[in-house]
Amino acid sequence: MRCETLLILACGVPKLAESNSSTPLLQVENLHTFFDTPRGTVRAVDGVSFTINKGETLAIVGESGCGKSMTALSLLQLVPEPAGYIESGRILFNGKDLLDLTWDQMREVRGSDVAMIFQEPMTSLNPTFTIGWQMVEAMEIHDTTTGQQARKRAEELLSLVDIGNPAQVMRQYPHELSGGMRQRVMIAMALSNSPKLLIADEPTTALDVTVQAQILGLMRKLQQEMGMSILLITHDLGIVAEMANRVAVMYAGHFVEYATTRDLFRTPLHPYTQGLFASLPARARRGQDLAVLEGTVPDAANWPPACRFEPRCPYRWDTCAKVPPKYHPADAVWPSRCHLYDPEITDRPRVGAPRGKVPSGSELQSAEPKAETPLPEQVAS
Amino acid sequence: MADTLLAVRNLKKYFPLRKGLFAPRAYNKAVDDVSFEIPKGSTLALVGESGSGKSTVGLMVLDLLEPTGGDILYNGQSFAERKGKDRLALRREMQVVFQDPYASLNARMNVRETVTEGMVVHRIGANAAEREERAAALLQQVGLPPSALDRYPHEFSGGQRQRIAIARALSVEPSFIVLDEPTSALDVSVQSQILNLLRRLQRDKGLTYLFITHNLGVVEYLADAVAVMEAGRIVERGTVDEIFDHTREEYTKNLLRSIPSLDPENRKLLLNAD
Repeated sequence: MRCETLLILACGVPKLAESNSSTPLLQVENLHTFFDTPRGTVRAVDGVSFTINKGETLAIVGESGCGKSMTALSLLQLVPEPAGYIESGRILFNGKDLLDLTWDQMREVRGSDVAMIFQEPMTSLNPTFTIGWQMVEAMEIHDTTTGQQARKRAEELLSLVDIGNPAQVMRQYPHELSGGMRQRVMIAMALSNSPKLLIADEPTTALDVTVQAQILGLMRKLQQEMGMSILLITHDLGIVAEMANRVAVMYAGHFVEYATTRDLFRTPLHPYTQGLFASLPARARRGQDLAVLEGTVPDAANWPPACRFEPRCPYRWDTCAKVPPKYHPADAVWPSRCHLYDPEITDRPRVGAPRGKVPSGSELQSAEPKAETPLPEQVAS
Repeated sequence: MADTLLAVRNLKKYFPLRKGLFAPRAYNKAVDDVSFEIPKGSTLALVGESGSGKSTVGLMVLDLLEPTGGDILYNGQSFAERKGKDRLALRREMQVVFQDPYASLNARMNVRETVTEGMVVHRIGANAAEREERAAALLQQVGLPPSALDRYPHEFSGGQRQRIAIARALSVEPSFIVLDEPTSALDVSVQSQILNLLRRLQRDKGLTYLFITHNLGVVEYLADAVAVMEAGRIVERGTVDEIFDHTREEYTKNLLRSIPSLDPENRKLLLNAD
C-alpha cells in the first residue's frame, strides 16, 4: 500500500504543489459554513477539523441535518449560494489552502485532484447524453485526454469498475442502466482524472444490499490499486465498520467524537454514539424495546446553547445546559465532546455515568491510538 | 398453532410487455406462483431486492391490484367470494403504512382530517366530536401531542409523519397492516422509535403484520417468519433462525453475505482485501 502510494506520487501529474509525504493529504481546520435564512443564521457546519492521510478512508457518520453533506460540499466550495457561505476556516489540500484559490483555479481542482460521487446517480448524470459522451466531456474539460484517446480511456475506466461490456454501455443513456450500473459509471467518471481524494456522499444509500456490497468492494479495490484517499459520508455504521480507518461522529453541526474505527466500535465514548449503537435492531434484542434517543435532531437555526445533545441525552445534568463541553476533555483518550470525561467539571456524576460502555483506566491505556493514525490536536471551537 | 388470518395461494401478477393486435404475447411475471400464510397476531417479513415483486404482493393482498391468478383468503374467506359492500368492508380490516411519509400524507389535509377521514368513511364514531376524541387518543398512542391535530404534515419531521401515518392506519381498527418499508426513509435513532411503537401496538392490539423490507437487521429483530422473494417467486420460507442460520438457498446466502458487519476487526464484505 505504501509503495503504491509513492508510485502514484512519482508518476502522477501534480496539479497542486506537492509537499513532503508526512503532511496529510487534506487538513481541514475549524471550518464554519453558514446559511443566511429568514429564520436567522443557520450554523450548518460549526467548527469542524479533521485530517485525511494519503490512501486512508475517513468516515463522517451522522443523521440527516447534522451537517455531514455540507461539510463535504464545503471542501469543493459547492455550497448553494448565495444563502450558504464558508464563514471561516482553512481547507489545506497538499498544504495549500483551497479557500485562497480563484474560481477558475478551484474549477481545476474539482473533478481532477478531488472528485465527488453522490447518493442518487440518476440526478448526477445528464439524461440527454450517452454515457460515453459524458465521460469524454469530463476528461476533455481537464485536458487529460481528447477525442479517440479519451473514448479508449473511458472504456478502460468502465472495465476498471467491473462493467463487462464497456463499449455497449458507452452508447447507452443513463435511464437504460440500473442503479448499481449508474453508480459504477459515476465512480468511473470520478476516477477519470486520477483524483487523490474521492468524496463519496452516501454512495450506496439508494442501492440494494447486494449491489451495495459490490460497490463498497469496488471502492476498496480501486483505493488499493490507485492509492487514493476517501472521505465517506454515511449514516450507516455497518458501512463505516467495513470501509473506514477513522471515523468522525457528527451531531448538530460539529463533531462529537473522532477516533479510529476500531476504537470507536470497541468503546464508543460519547452518549450520542452509544445511543446510535444501542438503537440498532438485532436478533439479540428480539422481544425487547430498542434503546431510543428521545426527540429529534435540534433545529439548525437554533442549536441548544451549551451541549447540543443535552436535550436528548440520558446522562444530562444541570451543567450540561449551561457550559458547552470541550471537544477533547482530559479523561477521554480521543475527542469526545462530553462533560463526563472532563475532570474540571466537578459535578459530573460518578454513578449513573455510562459505566457499561465507558472504558476503565487500564482499558483506556490499551486503547491508546497508534502513531500511524494520529488524531488531531484539540481544537477549541 | 394460531389461526391463519391471511392465506395467499398461487398468487400471480403478469404485466403485459407489448401491446398490439399481432404482437406476440410477452409478460413481465412480477409475481409468479406465490403462496404463504400469516397466523393471527404474528409478523411475516417479505424480503428481497428491488424488483423482486414484494411490493406487488402487498398491493394485491390489500385488494388494490387485481391478481392475474391465484387466490387470497382473509379469515378463511376468499376475496373472490366477497362482492360489493362485503368486499369494501375488507378495507376496514386491512391497512397500510408506506415507506415515504413525505409522499403518503396529503399535504393539504391537517392531521385531524387525515386521521378522521377513514372513520367517516367507515362510520366509526357517532359525530365529529367523538371522532376527534378518538383521533386525539390515537395520537397519544403513537406518541404525538393532541395539539398536533391542527397542524399540517410539513410541520413534522419524518419520524413524526410516520407516526401520523400509523395513527391513520389504526383509526379504522384494522386487524392486519401491510408495512411497506416503513422505516427505510428514517434515521437510525428514529427507526428504533418506530420499531418499538410497531412492536408495542402488535402486542396490545393483537395486530398481524406483513412486513415488506430489504433491511435484514429489522427482519431479525421484528419478524416471526421470513419469506425470501427473487424475481417474482418465493425461494425460501422459514423462521428467522431457520433463514438466518440454516439457509439452503444460494440467493439467500448472497443476501446475508451482503449485510455489512458491525465489527471493523472482522470485516465481511471484502474478503479478498488485505
